Amino acid sequence: MTRFYLDVHALQTFPPSNINRDDTGAPKTAVYGGVPRARVSSQAWKKAVRDYFREENLLDASELGVRTKRIVESVAERIAALAPAIAGVEALQAADETLKATGLKTEVRKRKGDTTKAGESEPVPEAKYLVFLSARQLDGLARLAVEGAGDIKTFFKHKQNRDRAREIADTHHSVDIALFGRMVADAADINVDAAVQVAHAISVHRVENESDYYTAVDDRNTEEETGAGMIGTVDFNSATFYRYAAVGVHQLAENLGQGLRDGEPASSPVRRAVEAFVHGFVASLPTGKINTFGHHTFPDAVIVKLRTTRPISFVAAFEDPIRGDQGGHVHEACDRLAEFVPEIERAYGDDGTTLTWVLRVGANTNRLADTGEEAGTLVDLVAAVGKAVAERLEKPA
Amino acid sequence: MSVLTLRLAGPLQSWGANARFSRRTTESAPTKSAVIGMLAAAVGVERGDDTRLAPIAALRYGVRIDQPGIRMRDFHTAHHAVTGKAMPLSERFYLADAVFVAALEGDYTLLADLHSALRNPVYPPFLGRRSCPPSRPVELDLHREGTLEQALRSTPWQASSWHKRQHRPGADIHLTVLREARPEEVDAANTLRDQPLSFAPEHRRHALRSVISDSVRFTHSLERRAVARHDPFDAFDAAEEKSA
Repeated sequence: MTRFYLDVHALQTFPPSNINRDDTGAPKTAVYGGVPRARVSSQAWKKAVRDYFREENLLDASELGVRTKRIVESVAERIAALAPAIAGVEALQAADETLKATGLKTEVRKRKGDTTKAGESEPVPEAKYLVFLSARQLDGLARLAVEGAGDIKTFFKHKQNRDRAREIADTHHSVDIALFGRMVADAADINVDAAVQVAHAISVHRVENESDYYTAVDDRNTEEETGAGMIGTVDFNSATFYRYAAVGVHQLAENLGQGLRDGEPASSPVRRAVEAFVHGFVASLPTGKINTFGHHTFPDAVIVKLRTTRPISFVAAFEDPIRGDQGGHVHEACDRLAEFVPEIERAYGDDGTTLTWVLRVGANTNRLADTGEEAGTLVDLVAAVGKAVAERLEKPA
Repeated sequence: MSVLTLRLAGPLQSWGANARFSRRTTESAPTKSAVIGMLAAAVGVERGDDTRLAPIAALRYGVRIDQPGIRMRDFHTAHHAVTGKAMPLSERFYLADAVFVAALEGDYTLLADLHSALRNPVYPPFLGRRSCPPSRPVELDLHREGTLEQALRSTPWQASSWHKRQHRPGADIHLTVLREARPEEVDAANTLRDQPLSFAPEHRRHALRSVISDSVRFTHSLERRAVARHDPFDAFDAAEEKSA
């Protein structure tokens, strides 16, 4: 199949905030170009994208996955819904056996004191690790469990039934599994390699963390000490980030397989996944300490490229840190990109087959206007990218 | 023999040789296993396809540390989807701000295939971890004739200009090279378990490999910056970062 990649680049400014903490509570940092930078880890932003899919209903629930240890309960609920006669302990047991047949390991976690009080249900087996299964996979496993519910242990003694369980866990991946991958240590054959690379976001300029000393007044304590009811510190920084992610569209297509619904073109799941990813990556926000700092911002500039050659990060444009001595960092960061992008594309890109879109806000970003086809809104950008992806997928190789 | 050279540069890299469980460490230079894995991925060798992996893994490997970077510890948390409780924490180590030149010696046709696959990869390259994309395309050069040692001697110093500026013009620069031993050198070599045998997810296997630590010497010539800029505080910044 034709190989092609989508890369997404964004410049986004945050006011004082602490969106991704390390173990000491300070915002994460990295050194680049010899100076300290603010950093947001890739996993923090991927989590934000997955949450965004759900909260904004970018995708149908049937296209999303659940990442949980309580996977036995999830399947048991579906069994009970399919066949109300099988419920409670029986449903849980059927679910447990079915999941074990896929190669997953489950265990009963002992509760404190290990006494089951009256009215409290029996402890439920859980996976030993977070398991990521799509809604369709959970449904499929529940159907298989119902089929073998009469004598579930004997049912899975037959190899063909165990194979069916594995097959269900290995096809019809949810969009988020196809994008971000799945790793199961005990059942490596149902692992899914992520189609997306999300880089750690780093600031385009030097950043030193600062510490805010705060006091809180006790409103009702008027007689005794009139000082603070409590004191503390919170670390924060303020930064303009360069954010980058690349999607292997051909790999995404392979992970997702053919159309999920009857009668839709084969490219549909991929198109929906790409649209959701671009939208989610641009608009999502890690919510660390969001109520303390209210860092609700959007990127000033977004560049999206669809190419047949390998994806290219533009982070090297900022290896020499931006000084911001004319005030702010966005203006200079956009100027840097406007110079760097044509240079690196000339040297390593493939002009003839690369499509470029730009979404930008404000006069600071003017120099990026000629970088690609301008999109007026995020919705336009997402639609244009989705359309181009579908066209390329349907074009015979 | 022919040699393919790669430039491995990016804000973050992570090259684990015995990174397990919740403590994911990094070596101070790219491991052979990771670089072979990256090349195999680029040509589309699936995990577990040990037959297609074998000729790539058989290439002779060496790496030069052009800019060592800084070891960085990252703290990773995950939360339970239902209860919101914290899951076991894990520590991940990275090399920040590092630049390496890796070289592979072997058959020309194979190296030429790998070279073109890096421009058109089935699975895109990353620097040891998926969240660490390279800051520039990784393929550097394909030498039809030559040895690993020659290529690592002749490839210009790839360090960033800010890093080079910390060295006096005319000064001798010694770059560490970690390369596979020749048969006669094996006795003097260290060993590292990063010779890939299989990337099959259910049973990854690595053999021991002998590594010779060597160095190459450059005479540093100062690059002229495009725009002359003078900031007397730069000297303080540089001194401060060195001591940090």
